Amino acid sequence: MTVATTKRKVAIIVSHGGLDEVYPGLILGNAARQSGIDAFLFFTFWGLDAITESKVDHLHMNLAGNASSNMPTMLAGLPGMESLAASMMKKQMAELDLPTVREMLQILEQSGAELFACELAMKMFKREQKDLLPEVKDVITAGDFYDLADGAQIIFT
Amino acid sequence: METDKLDTILTRLDAISSRVHEISERQRKQDEFLSEMSPVLKEMMSSATTRLDVLDKKGYFAFARELVGVTERVVEGFSPDDVRKLGDAVVAILETVRTMTQPEVLAIAGEASETLKNADRVEPIGLIGMVRASRDEDVQKGMAVMMDVVRNVGRVAEIVSTQRKRKSAASSQQQDRAARLQAITGSRKKTPLGIERPRAFVPSERKAPSMPLGAPSGCAVPSTKAPVVAAVIEGVGFTTDGHLADAKEWTESLAGRLAEAQGVELDEARWTIVRFARGDFESTGMSPNIRRITQGANVTTKDLYTLFPKAPARTIAKIAGIPKPAGCI
Repeated sequence: MTVATTKRKVAIIVSHGGLDEVYPGLILGNAARQSGIDAFLFFTFWGLDAITESKVDHLHMNLAGNASSNMPTMLAGLPGMESLAASMMKKQMAELDLPTVREMLQILEQSGAELFACELAMKMFKREQKDLLPEVKDVITAGDFYDLADGAQIIFT
Repeated sequence: METDKLDTILTRLDAISSRVHEISERQRKQDEFLSEMSPVLKEMMSSATTRLDVLDKKGYFAFARELVGVTERVVEGFSPDDVRKLGDAVVAILETVRTMTQPEVLAIAGEASETLKNADRVEPIGLIGMVRASRDEDVQKGMAVMMDVVRNVGRVAEIVSTQRKRKSAASSQQQDRAARLQAITGSRKKTPLGIERPRAFVPSERKAPSMPLGAPSGCAVPSTKAPVVAAVIEGVGFTTDGHLADAKEWTESLAGRLAEAQGVELDEARWTIVRFARGDFESTGMSPNIRRITQGANVTTKDLYTLFPKAPARTIAKIAGIPKPAGCI
């Protein structure tokens, strides 16, 4: 593979807060940085949970309505199932030596990827920047996002 | 001399004659006894025959025959070893039987089986019916009892399983047997129907690294494809993605040239990292990814991106003359 001469750039939107819904964005962002591609991540709506100090370590995984999970939806909706699924998934990830969401965000920030939070979602969920992780660079609007994403490939997760 | 011998012979004869007399006497007594007893015996025999006949009619013999059959089956089915184990467990069995035959237990079991008699008349209920029934106090109590039973069974099962594990760990012979059994019966995993796919490659030999760092993570399985030499520059083969085709051709002076091609200067900090990557590859057979380099070479991710700004792990792998690192992290 020849190294691309034009500078590549990706903008990744993380809009869901499930454990399984957050990881793809983080991994794609990290992989981009590892491949020498500029990357920034935009966290909106439930995706905000992934960068909120009090929530980042307690992201759950929703089995209900997930056709790929072996659990019947009837049972998947029972109380405690989400945390059970999340803890099982975390165990598997630990076996693969996958970093936690918090560590992933730290790695992303250190590798030069930029993390942004959505202003509207922040207002909706009544959160302030001090509630967010220190790795988050700024709170921006959708318009700012497009300015930043100029010339970037946009990935929505 | 002669008289002496005669004497001994006489005394012996005497003894023998007394014996003969004794035996003949006994014989006579027996004869008498028999002649006296024979009518009685005849009577007894005939009565015994009729008795036995009655017993036979009642089915005692058929029962006994069956019992023998059952015993035989039991003997066939159980080895002496099993019986010995049974002997060990007999106290526990009796204890269980005693607990189960307590009047309270029997009363509950009797009541419960009484319900089963009427099982054909019960209306079928679904999930909603179950929820509705769970409001009933008796059902709640029953559920509590069942839960307790389940809990106890679970606890005992756990204890038994740990004991069994300890035992199996102790005797390698048993493990051997299990392995042989599995070789005969095959894996229990059923192969799914449909198109047969080639099995995923599993690296057969992955040596543990000599460093304190653990084995590489499972998500970084190296490519199985043999490297294709895409270009030969000054006698050294390179792959299409710019890595050395053969890691053995690497030398420290070559590393300097490779670094130059990547636009980085090999100072001491960078050398440490390159040497770590090289050593890790030699011990594990895999190129380390960024996470592994930060853990193993003791640098932060940030420093790594500063030292090798463009795709650090790949650049390091190129300079160290090892393949492109696999995995996502």
